[in-house]
Amino acid sequence: MNENWTLFKRNLAEFWKTFRKNRLGLLGAFLVITSILVATFAPWLSPYSPSDIIRDEGGHGLTFASPAVHAPLGTDDAGHDVWSQLVHGARISLMVGFMAGFIAMFVGSLFGILAGYFGGAVDNLLMRITDILLVIPDLPLMLILVATIRQLDLKISPLTVLIAVIGLLYWTSTARLIRSQVLTIKERQFVARARAIGAGHGHIIRKHILPQIMPLIVANTVLILSTAILVESGLAFLGLGDPTKPSWGTMLNFAFDRSAVTNGAWWFYLPPGLAIVWVTLGCVLLGNVLEEMLNPRLTAHHLEGDQNMVTVPGKGVE
Amino acid sequence: MKRNLLYVLVLVTLLLSACGGGTTPTVVSATQPPASGGSDATLKIGWIGKPDTLNPAYAFLTESYTIFDLIYSTLVTEAADGTYEGMLAKDWSVSDDGLTWTYHLKDGIQWHNGGPFTAGQMAWAINAIMKDPEGWAASANYTGGFKEVTAPDDKTVVIVTEYPIANMDYRTSFLYAVYPPDFETFTTSADLQNFTNFAAIGTGPFKVKTFDKDTGVLLLDSNQAYFDGAPKIGGVIFQTFDNTDAMIQALKVGDIDLVNEVPASAFETVKGFENVTASAIDGRYFNELIINSVDPNNDPAPTGNPALADPAVRLAIAHSINKQDIVEVVAQGLATPGDTIVPPTLGGGFWHSPNVKEIPFDTAEASRVLEDAGYILGSDGVRAKGDLRLEFRLQFPSDSAVYPRIADLMAGWFAQAGMKATPEAVDPDALVAATTPAGDYDLVLWGWGPDPDPDFILSVMTTDQFVDGGWSDSGYHNPEYDQLYLDQQQIVDKAERQKVVWKMQEMVFNDRPYIVMYYEKMLQAYRSDRFAGFIESPLGIESAQSLLNVTAVK
Repeated sequence: MNENWTLFKRNLAEFWKTFRKNRLGLLGAFLVITSILVATFAPWLSPYSPSDIIRDEGGHGLTFASPAVHAPLGTDDAGHDVWSQLVHGARISLMVGFMAGFIAMFVGSLFGILAGYFGGAVDNLLMRITDILLVIPDLPLMLILVATIRQLDLKISPLTVLIAVIGLLYWTSTARLIRSQVLTIKERQFVARARAIGAGHGHIIRKHILPQIMPLIVANTVLILSTAILVESGLAFLGLGDPTKPSWGTMLNFAFDRSAVTNGAWWFYLPPGLAIVWVTLGCVLLGNVLEEMLNPRLTAHHLEGDQNMVTVPGKGVE
Repeated sequence: MKRNLLYVLVLVTLLLSACGGGTTPTVVSATQPPASGGSDATLKIGWIGKPDTLNPAYAFLTESYTIFDLIYSTLVTEAADGTYEGMLAKDWSVSDDGLTWTYHLKDGIQWHNGGPFTAGQMAWAINAIMKDPEGWAASANYTGGFKEVTAPDDKTVVIVTEYPIANMDYRTSFLYAVYPPDFETFTTSADLQNFTNFAAIGTGPFKVKTFDKDTGVLLLDSNQAYFDGAPKIGGVIFQTFDNTDAMIQALKVGDIDLVNEVPASAFETVKGFENVTASAIDGRYFNELIINSVDPNNDPAPTGNPALADPAVRLAIAHSINKQDIVEVVAQGLATPGDTIVPPTLGGGFWHSPNVKEIPFDTAEASRVLEDAGYILGSDGVRAKGDLRLEFRLQFPSDSAVYPRIADLMAGWFAQAGMKATPEAVDPDALVAATTPAGDYDLVLWGWGPDPDPDFILSVMTTDQFVDGGWSDSGYHNPEYDQLYLDQQQIVDKAERQKVVWKMQEMVFNDRPYIVMYYEKMLQAYRSDRFAGFIESPLGIESAQSLLNVTAVK
């Protein structure tokens, strides 16, 4: 246990040494961490509750007040403080994005590992399911699913519906990626040896396959997060969010429905738009860098150094 | 993996440009400016939506009726002041028993194709509805109780009814003179309903030139042979927009001349446009808070909080709604605080009861009312009497940007009085099912657009309407009210009927199945540098009466 811990610490230190040299990675981490911090400390960062109405001296609601009238980001169509909305919106956007992203990652990894490891009929069945989902256009399918589920009046909160639908549709690319990795790993000698001494499928997957593909899963999760947040914003913008718990997409939906553009109220629609860019860009940068670092084959060059990486025709590492 | 980055960036850019970068009006080029027919005096109207049919037998969209108003005529019609005046009819009278109505037609009425219009054709059009009420589903209500419609000569139409009909003028104002040859050939109701009538022939001031159902571009020429004097403009074009921002921009740059529905949130900006006149006048729409009033013995049993049946709780709720604030903050000041279910615009104010006493916004008073009724404030800030906790679902249709704002405000006021309301957006269809006939709700925010005659909005509160597919969503059940509703239908004397109509809205106001929050204003705008002479009235500046008065500015 102690040995493992020191090993982990050493790995982490090494990882940090490489990581901090990567500017894009640092930028990505900064963007992601700041947004998580903002979401976590939302009540302390916002002077108002998102549903408070800003009023003038006469008690009249200030609607579409510019940042010059009401700092720092003005008010929206109903006199809410845009900054407070933005900060609280981070909670909803990130929560939906993270939960949907993790569901997608879990389903995708499960499908990928099972299909890659067992092959044959299992592989065929799982991959055909994946293919079918892959060819159906995501957005129309999600719109129909969300609308239909909500019409059933199942007493599920709109956000839960969003999380489930995004999570259960965005795992296909992950499944394919993981499957291809598992296919190569399961042919390696250490797997064959484990099998030779009588290890069961569960043991091999847990102890030999999973640790090998874990870095890939981590990197991919971060990438999926960006997609999930983006998709949530898109759906909420189209009116499928929960107006009582506004995310950034819902803010954009309100801005659009309530003529913010005609009113020239840029302070109402630009901040949520930029916030979405902030988080998704952060996730993509971080995800790409993590993938490069954790997947040795993206860093090592075939023609220099390590002889093991050279492919020998017929029995290589694919 | 770089492709992934690019993909996300492209998506982000798309999203931003779709919702953010609208300061440059690039959207305008997305709409197709229709060929203007070469005449400067063609009025271009922009609207959201389009008629799905021009067949009065089976038209249910407002847009269809806007067009009918321009291309068809009726015996009588509603005037700008809410009274009724003759249209095809020169004059009309009713017999002393209230059963026989006689209409004398004006001279020189012609169809759009030049043929003469006769009383026999008008009688045919009304008889067609009476013979096939299923096929004429959209009009059948207006001929209920009609016994016989005849044309003793070419200039006289006689309608005999089974019982006195109180709102005869209103009903005849929706019985369109359709061209019999177009409608004679249908043998089944379904065939009639499927007929789109896009080349409609009528007797109205404008005639259909072309209608492209896909783009929604509808071209109307003015009818130079119109019997009440031809329009002074060459024609009208209706152009459908997908998005209000694009429509407002088109008005700003002059691609269109009139917008018949300006969103409240954009009205202040539109008012500031150069050469644009914006008009806000009291309309017929109102928004209300529905309080579950379903009979506890109903099948299925309602799930509403039983505390809502307590008049004290209803009074406290009424004290906890700041109508003025809703009007100012949510409706941008473009509405009037409301009281009864009959808006003051109906019949030019004739039907709206002046006798109700508004419940002032006062959450301290609400607390006192609840305290007196035995609802004790709990440690969590929610009052309760025994098991009855004042905790409510506050639902609203999810397709509205207004109701979530109102719900937020309301939840705040309720909390001050020790009541808890949890706002929740619900799919509109699911909400219809939840209200009628399930009664599975506590409080709901919704709205109505009543007819010019009070009959319809009064019917919404009758017990009979609380059935699947019925209009009642509150479940209000009051035998006395139901009887008054039947009575007012047969009182031909207007002053007598007014008394009953007043009494009915007072009952609803005092029992509070609905708390009417505000009456919306009708917001419209037009290019004053191109056209003048619009008549501002609840009928709309795009109504036939207004357009007949419009001239081009040279």
